[in-house]
Amino acid sequence: MDHFPTNWGRPRNDAHDAYGTFPIPQRPQNRVNDSFSDAVQRTQQPIVTGTSVLALKYKDGILMAADNLASYGSLARFKDVQRLQAVGSTTVVGAGGDMSDFQYIQKFLDELVIDEFSAHDGHDLGPAEIHEYLSQVMYARRSKMNPLWNSLLVGGFKDGKRFLSYVDLLGTTYSASTLATGYGAYLAQPILRKEVEGREDTLTEEEAKKIMETCMKVLFYRDARSLDKYQFATITAQGVTISESQFLTTSWSFAEGIRGYGAQTQ
Amino acid sequence: MVSLAQQQPIQQSFNPYTENGGTILAVSGADFSVIAGDTRQSEGYNIQTRYAPKVFKLTDKAVLAVNGFAADGNMFVKKVKQRLEWYRHAHAKDMPIRSIARLIQTMLYARRFFPYYVYNILGGIEEDGTGAVYSFDPVGSYEREACRAAGAAQSLVQPFLDNQIYFKNQTPAPGTSFPQHLPLQTVLALVIDSFTGATERHIEVGDGLEMYVVLSRGSTALQSLQSIRGVQEITATNDGERVFVIRKELKKD
Amino acid sequence: MFLTRSEYDRGVNTFSPEGRLFQVEYAIEAIKLGSTTVGIKTPEGVVLGVEKRVQSPLLESNSIEKIMEIDAHLGCAMSGLTADARTMIDHARVTAQNHAFTYDERIKVESVTQAVCDLALRFGESVHDEEAMMSRPFGVALLIAGIDELGPQLFHTDPSGTFIRYEAKAIGSGSEAAQGELQDKWHKQMTLKEAQILALRVLKQVMEEKLDQHNVQLAQVTPSKGFEILDEVGLKAIIEEM
Repeated sequence: MDHFPTNWGRPRNDAHDAYGTFPIPQRPQNRVNDSFSDAVQRTQQPIVTGTSVLALKYKDGILMAADNLASYGSLARFKDVQRLQAVGSTTVVGAGGDMSDFQYIQKFLDELVIDEFSAHDGHDLGPAEIHEYLSQVMYARRSKMNPLWNSLLVGGFKDGKRFLSYVDLLGTTYSASTLATGYGAYLAQPILRKEVEGREDTLTEEEAKKIMETCMKVLFYRDARSLDKYQFATITAQGVTISESQFLTTSWSFAEGIRGYGAQTQ
Repeated sequence: MVSLAQQQPIQQSFNPYTENGGTILAVSGADFSVIAGDTRQSEGYNIQTRYAPKVFKLTDKAVLAVNGFAADGNMFVKKVKQRLEWYRHAHAKDMPIRSIARLIQTMLYARRFFPYYVYNILGGIEEDGTGAVYSFDPVGSYEREACRAAGAAQSLVQPFLDNQIYFKNQTPAPGTSFPQHLPLQTVLALVIDSFTGATERHIEVGDGLEMYVVLSRGSTALQSLQSIRGVQEITATNDGERVFVIRKELKKD
Repeated sequence: MFLTRSEYDRGVNTFSPEGRLFQVEYAIEAIKLGSTTVGIKTPEGVVLGVEKRVQSPLLESNSIEKIMEIDAHLGCAMSGLTADARTMIDHARVTAQNHAFTYDERIKVESVTQAVCDLALRFGESVHDEEAMMSRPFGVALLIAGIDELGPQLFHTDPSGTFIRYEAKAIGSGSEAAQGELQDKWHKQMTLKEAQILALRVLKQVMEEKLDQHNVQLAQVTPSKGFEILDEVGLKAIIEEM
């Protein structure tokens, strides 16, 4: 998955706007070529975006992490946004991509959970059901050429089983013991795979959080649309917990020693 | 050179498709079929997961492999399975493979102007007990063949199969002729070689291999199958046809 | 008698307190006014036979069509309000063709019968924005004959949408006597020829006029030739053999 949510769902094209150099007001307008197109508004590009979401399986359940930033292009616009959302009592959905589309998703997922609760028929929606439902919605919207511009991670723990899956604006889905969206797929996923694969059943929560923090730190160092303020979510037999926001401790002193870039005199 | 900002905005609308790599293949024998696929799912240079199945058992005599855009593939398989269940309810029998092939054509062609971006290979046992392979393009053209490869490494695997199964560019020794059908053991060896070869030379192929074997009623290939390590039977009915799956690791780099 | 019934005779979909749908029952009665029609199953195929009532010497008897083809392997004979059968057979033909198109195989006899019967109870008042529906039940019964992977089969359908498989079945005005005769004479190892002759004998017994090649019609479904209506020459030969 591409680092720039703007490019998601578009053909890979290295020649075109690879670094997001268009100021937002001058972005390519994607008008459908018909006279009534003004009357229809569709998400053809994300506006306020969230970056990576990370998740891994550990001994007791699922650990997820996402920072609190919602960017407006390259502007760090909103710095206290929660991108991890509990859905029911056994599931967390984490979102990258367009934040208004994510709010819409949160809204209908909440309605879904309330409807299911009200039915009081002995069924309750677990992570697998929520992921399947989300996949169907995402795929249906892409098929109407009106996508919800997100990549989502669904983590959960139900009936003693861990669940971790991905779905994005194209309706593409997959599962693995570590998942990462956005820039995280490039920077964090290799670290996560190295640390987690084969250790899913022995990793403690403490160890898992340590790995996750390393990944968030790497992302904050290298992803210009990330923030040092982030949240964890754990989903275990005890249920869902989404932590308070916490800060990464970073050190930038190494920058002093870098030579060869910028306006140095020597 | 005109600067980027001065250029006309480039019309670029949402692209509802992507490619998720991987390769599938199927080979038919006299009284069996082998349908195989790797389990890697990727996009660009990213491996999304090392285990995403591309081969699905439909009935005890039909197995479907799908390759291309994974979201379309999964949806397509879901819809085919739904149609098979409706058929079972309406006609009180499992759909024959020949009918499944035709159904797949009508389902694909129904989406001619917004296609499922998927290459399908259907393998199994025909009503007369012979092994069958049907291959499709994304909009529903299909034919029955003896073997077919599709997907990322089609261009690597198909020539290999042409040579080893159809004996293309080979001349039989004087006084001998090439066999019409190969035994299961030979076919499985060729399938494994196809995938290890494709894994070696194609970055989108690897991680795991799933081989489905469908045997017709009383197939003699049963003995050679039972000697294979890790073979797992997944037959559901007592109609006589039997389905097995063999899983193998492929290189993960 | 009729006075007590009348309350429940009006709405076609209204149950009587005894749990009956009178309009459907009356429709079944209508079949008993129709000409006699028989169907006989044998291991070699299925035979259909109908009586054509030639009401006037000026009537061209070959214009009476009471046996129709549904598909190459399916035929159908009718009794009752034969005009209603056109709707049903049209539906059966479309269903059979659609099946062949979608599945590249011949539809099963039971499946096409089920499809026809699905139409039977689609009468009554339509709900607000629905298309206008049929106003009354079909007044016709069908004998659907065919061959599929389960071998030769014969089905009977009536206006209630019920269908039942038979070895041999008679419907129409002479059906009671005809069914009795079929019960006596039918046996499991019948040849197709024997079935043809039995069909004609049964019809002859219940017909008022003298049976000849103009006032009866025979059809058969066989594994080799599928559905075929016997021409007058062939029919005459069988009549002479009787």
